Amino acid sequence: MHKRTVSHLLSAATVAAISLLAGCSTYGVKNPSGTGVTVLKADEQGTVAGTGIESQDIVAVTDKMARSILEIPQIANAATPPNIAVLPIENGTRFAINKEQMTTRLRARLVSQTRGKVVFLARDRMPALEKEQQLKQNGQLTSATDPRVVEFRGADYFLTGNLDGSSTRNSRGVSDYVLYTFKLIDVRTSAIVWEDLAEIKKQGLEDSAYR
Amino acid sequence: MSPKRIATPLLATALALAIASGGCASQGGKAGADRDRVLREYREGAALMQATRFAEAKVPLDDALLTLGGLSAGDPTAKKARGLFHEESSKGFRGEPYERVMAYYYRGIVYWMEGEPDNARACFRNAQFQDSDAADGKYQSDYAILDYLDGYATAKLGGDGSDALKRARSYARLGRLPDYDPKANVLVFFEMGRGPTKYAGGEYGEQLRIRPGISAAVAANLRVAGQSLRVAPADDITYQATTRGGRVMDYVLANKAVFKGTTDSFGNAALLSGAVLAGAGSGRHSAADEVGAGLLVAGLISKIVSSATTPAADTRAWDNLPNFIGFAALQVPAGEQRLAVDFVDASGRTVVTREVAFTVVPGARDTVLFLSDRR
Repeated sequence: MHKRTVSHLLSAATVAAISLLAGCSTYGVKNPSGTGVTVLKADEQGTVAGTGIESQDIVAVTDKMARSILEIPQIANAATPPNIAVLPIENGTRFAINKEQMTTRLRARLVSQTRGKVVFLARDRMPALEKEQQLKQNGQLTSATDPRVVEFRGADYFLTGNLDGSSTRNSRGVSDYVLYTFKLIDVRTSAIVWEDLAEIKKQGLEDSAYR
Repeated sequence: MSPKRIATPLLATALALAIASGGCASQGGKAGADRDRVLREYREGAALMQATRFAEAKVPLDDALLTLGGLSAGDPTAKKARGLFHEESSKGFRGEPYERVMAYYYRGIVYWMEGEPDNARACFRNAQFQDSDAADGKYQSDYAILDYLDGYATAKLGGDGSDALKRARSYARLGRLPDYDPKANVLVFFEMGRGPTKYAGGEYGEQLRIRPGISAAVAANLRVAGQSLRVAPADDITYQATTRGGRVMDYVLANKAVFKGTTDSFGNAALLSGAVLAGAGSGRHSAADEVGAGLLVAGLISKIVSSATTPAADTRAWDNLPNFIGFAALQVPAGEQRLAVDFVDASGRTVVTREVAFTVVPGARDTVLFLSDRR
């Protein structure tokens, strides 16, 4: 009787120990040792994703727009490099974004690909530029040219864009469509000399625990 | 084999499972802290907004919105929360739609303060979108203030906000929303009262219920630069929280509750029958004895399974939300100004007054102010 009791107690203790170890070792921790840094390309979709505007969208859209702008005669056949000022894009989607990221990348692509065929004006730095000029005019700074002569260039074209979106939701998930349009406006005539678009649609399902 | 020889190892196994379950429960500390991260950020964001520390409020709100912006599909904590033996609150907190709406609403206000009305509008649109899957279509995306602000931002950006204004007016229950004033240069967001909270109902706490918020103040009197304006709130958060209808998760929890009840009843019946049969056999190793022992074991296991089933609804709540939110736009002359907001009750008595000093710079972006009746 004693032997049997001891044997049962031992079996209970073993099962308890195994259960404790097996049950607890992974509780609440999917990847207990973590994951090292993963380097992704900016045009690559990672495993962490939503239906919003992501890096791969910005890369794809700005690359497409840069290629498209370069083909228009006003740029490709210009006798002198046109001066372009970038106006902020307007975000009409449901996603708050860093708008400058998109125009900065587009400008950088154009500058690097055209190698001087277009000149971008640093309108976003005007307060600093004006202050510098003022200091030169006051004689507080040296100047290679006559500081009283205004040399800030006027724009030949404005480059701007719009983001518009529409979203759908049902009991299973969400779908988002974003339309990116960019245009080049002739400042003298207000004519839109170039416009192009890119569209991206995404959908994803929500876990029922959150519905 | 005697019933005792069967019963003892089974009991040992059941005991082991119970111990394992109890032991594991204490392991959730770190995971628990993480699953509440968004909740903590919501609370911190609201507290910082109420303390007028808007730049700091951006940090927790942005982090929380990063989580909300990602899809929940494949979330292991959500999968676990749907399981029989884990509570709903084991999932990472995202909040009910009325809470998600407020996270986007607050962030939109800060964007507007920083001179980005289009990103503010994006937040208001996203907030409205969070409310778009209410069970009854009548209550889908029905925040008056969000459509009103969407249209206002559009008008400020030179667009046509009339459609949004029309929609906003169709949802407005607490007062008529005024026409847009494109020349208004001071935008005032205000909030009052304590918002709704959650509690669990049903036999096993499987039903998520909303406890209404309260607010002594029902309107705001704005006084600035010789002007006085009484403004009713545009939205009632309790109304929004209580008109959502059922959730998909409610069905999951209801099924868990049924399972818990069934296994518990079966356990009771088996234990009782087993005890009667085992008693009738009087330990003479009869067939009744063996069946009785088997039923006792089955009953015990069923009771343990029932006890381990957790159908309780997730009652974690963003508990520093207001009960009413409102908005007003004013034309204020340039220079140093001081806005006083009297939060008044239904009889017109001032409950509390808040003041804020600001400077209107001609030609500069809109001045956006936020006042709460609590600090």
